[in-house]
Amino acid sequence: MSRQSSLTKLIFLSVLIAVGFLNIVLSCALFNNWIPILVVIIFLIAPIPNALAQCISTSYDSNFLGDYDDDGSVESPFVEFCHFLTGCLVMSGTLLPLILFHCHLINGRSFALSLSGGFIIYLSIVLFSVGFKEDDSDGYDF
Amino acid sequence: MSSEGEHLFRFPIIKLPNSRTVRSVMVYIAGALYAIGFWLVVDASVYSKTVNASVVHVTFVDWIPFICSTLGMMVINSIDKGQLFNSEGFGSGLQWQARLVLFVGFSLLAVGIAGGFLVLILKFLIKGFNSMPTLGMGLENVGANFCVMLSCILLWIIQNIEEDQTLSL
Repeated sequence: MSRQSSLTKLIFLSVLIAVGFLNIVLSCALFNNWIPILVVIIFLIAPIPNALAQCISTSYDSNFLGDYDDDGSVESPFVEFCHFLTGCLVMSGTLLPLILFHCHLINGRSFALSLSGGFIIYLSIVLFSVGFKEDDSDGYDF
Repeated sequence: MSSEGEHLFRFPIIKLPNSRTVRSVMVYIAGALYAIGFWLVVDASVYSKTVNASVVHVTFVDWIPFICSTLGMMVINSIDKGQLFNSEGFGSGLQWQARLVLFVGFSLLAVGIAGGFLVLILKFLIKGFNSMPTLGMGLENVGANFCVMLSCILLWIIQNIEEDQTLSL
């Protein structure tokens, strides 16, 4: 709409990502145990496959008949594999703190902090890609 | 940013999910299931390394069923399903090959699940380790293979939906 709204959005998202990093670093530094920093890495690479898929699918014309572009258009296998990878990575980022907690490598507070921090970072990246997308064709992509 | 027009909210309130959305969501769920399987195996091995109080430890043998399941899943999902239901005739050689490779894939998947149970029985139950924290490692192995199989089934269903869609159109 205007530059003001875009600027507000940017500031909000940067605050959100800073809070996410704060949570994760806190979960590591408070207990002097730097294993949960792996969660950041997983949640940072989680949006990459979907971004690639979007990049591919805009240049790839999958609807060869041109009639059904909204429902029933067959996605390319690469896009589907990217979706699969996204689901895999998000679930991995959720399960990694759980496993560390289950194996007594981190304690309960560190588990909660790292899990929430990871989700906040992922949420801010997704909101960034949704908020600055040009066409709002479907809001269902993560 | 371009103006939206007459929409108040960014997302439309009532929008029936079309088949493409359903397929995307199912693919996401399949990926999540595969991740659950993978991290269950990792959890079993990390648990055996850290807080394991018993003499049983997870070795490479426990990883073999999961590797078999993963290989089977890769084989099954890389087959082009259109070749399977092709009309017989000139392309029957390709169809035969597709059936053979698919058979190998399903065998690998079945070997994975059977191997999970085999490890559970031979390594834990027969030797009398049937109390919970120790038995959990074997149960996690079986659960991991089931998750991989469910993920594979979900992907198979998705591809058959696609088949119906293109046929009905």
